[in-house]
Amino acid sequence: MRVVHYLNQFFGGLGGEEKAAAPLEVREGAVGPGKLLERLLSSDAQVVTTLICGDNYAVENQQSMIAAAVEKVREAKADTFVAGPCFLAGRYGVAAGALCCAVQAKLGIPVITGMAQENPGTDLYREELYIIDSGDNAAKMREVLAKMVNLARKLMRKEVIGFPKEEGYIARGLIRDQFVEKTSGERLVDMVLAKVQGKPFESEMLPTAFAPIPMPPGVKDLRRAKLMLITDGGLVPKGNPDKIQGSAATRWGSYKIKDCVDLKGEDYEISHGGYDPQFVRQDPDRLLPLDVMRELEQEGVIGELYDEFISTSGLANPLSNTRRMGREMAERAKQLGIDAVILTST
Amino acid sequence: MVGANRVVLGNGIVHVVGAAGVSADAEKKLRRQLIEKALEALQSDNK
Repeated sequence: MRVVHYLNQFFGGLGGEEKAAAPLEVREGAVGPGKLLERLLSSDAQVVTTLICGDNYAVENQQSMIAAAVEKVREAKADTFVAGPCFLAGRYGVAAGALCCAVQAKLGIPVITGMAQENPGTDLYREELYIIDSGDNAAKMREVLAKMVNLARKLMRKEVIGFPKEEGYIARGLIRDQFVEKTSGERLVDMVLAKVQGKPFESEMLPTAFAPIPMPPGVKDLRRAKLMLITDGGLVPKGNPDKIQGSAATRWGSYKIKDCVDLKGEDYEISHGGYDPQFVRQDPDRLLPLDVMRELEQEGVIGELYDEFISTSGLANPLSNTRRMGREMAERAKQLGIDAVILTST
Repeated sequence: MVGANRVVLGNGIVHVVGAAGVSADAEKKLRRQLIEKALEALQSDNK
């Protein structure tokens, strides 16, 4: 079995945060925890190549890094791809998750990674990947790698994968049909009785949890602030150049409004199936208030309105898309030095 | 709702920062008012 292993700068032995900009590098054989990984795998398995990349480089160059990495995995003729485990390292987890998805999709080989429940990569990729719950303690490396190896073996042998608790991976939110003894009514009553008696019970389906997000402090000096407009009303330039889907959109676009003081209906269209677009078609400022923002900019109420607005469609959009897109938009806004965003929503 | 902060109520779904059936001036005024409320929210630390 030929394994390719992905590590960040720290686990790859390049250094700490000061090496986070390190570009993707390719090493022959196993590195760092990869050596332990190799020992846990069967004797006929080998980590043939290790890919090491700085966390910042991975996040800032995600697309190109992933494309290059996938090629390296292909060249190595890997049977299995392993990333991490990442524990609580967020940039690492996001990169590892994205890379695993790409390898899975492009090369069709089993992939496995590990990270803590709270790692942002978990939320983004749990549905597409088997992510071993590593917890946040890197001292448990051996235990975590062992679970990753076990699951990887099963994936390679195309065995049926058990429930999250059995195999040690993070719940993927997938539902599987199963024959059971009790009817749903009986199971539900059992759960309710257990709950009111303070006994443990396990819900069969977990409602989506929204982790509270701390509110950033208010803008201190609006007259010097750089603002950006974002909308989820699906406003796109005529022709929808980025082909943003009207429903369950997976893409968002950024569109120029430099020197524009008023949006004209004929320049735009709506890609959003959830509301009557006639009013916004007549005057897109009714959705994206460019005219007013320009006035405020001219009057010096705000420092500057950024040259582009960001848009996607929020219609029937699962969290797996919107959480990712929101994060990407926030990254972009951060890179551009945006102080505050006004997001208009239908 | 769902823990989102700094949410300003717009003027309905189909023209969230606009209005129908009013003069262009009246509509612009309304839009300005909504945006000014948004700017207030951006500067405040109240949820």
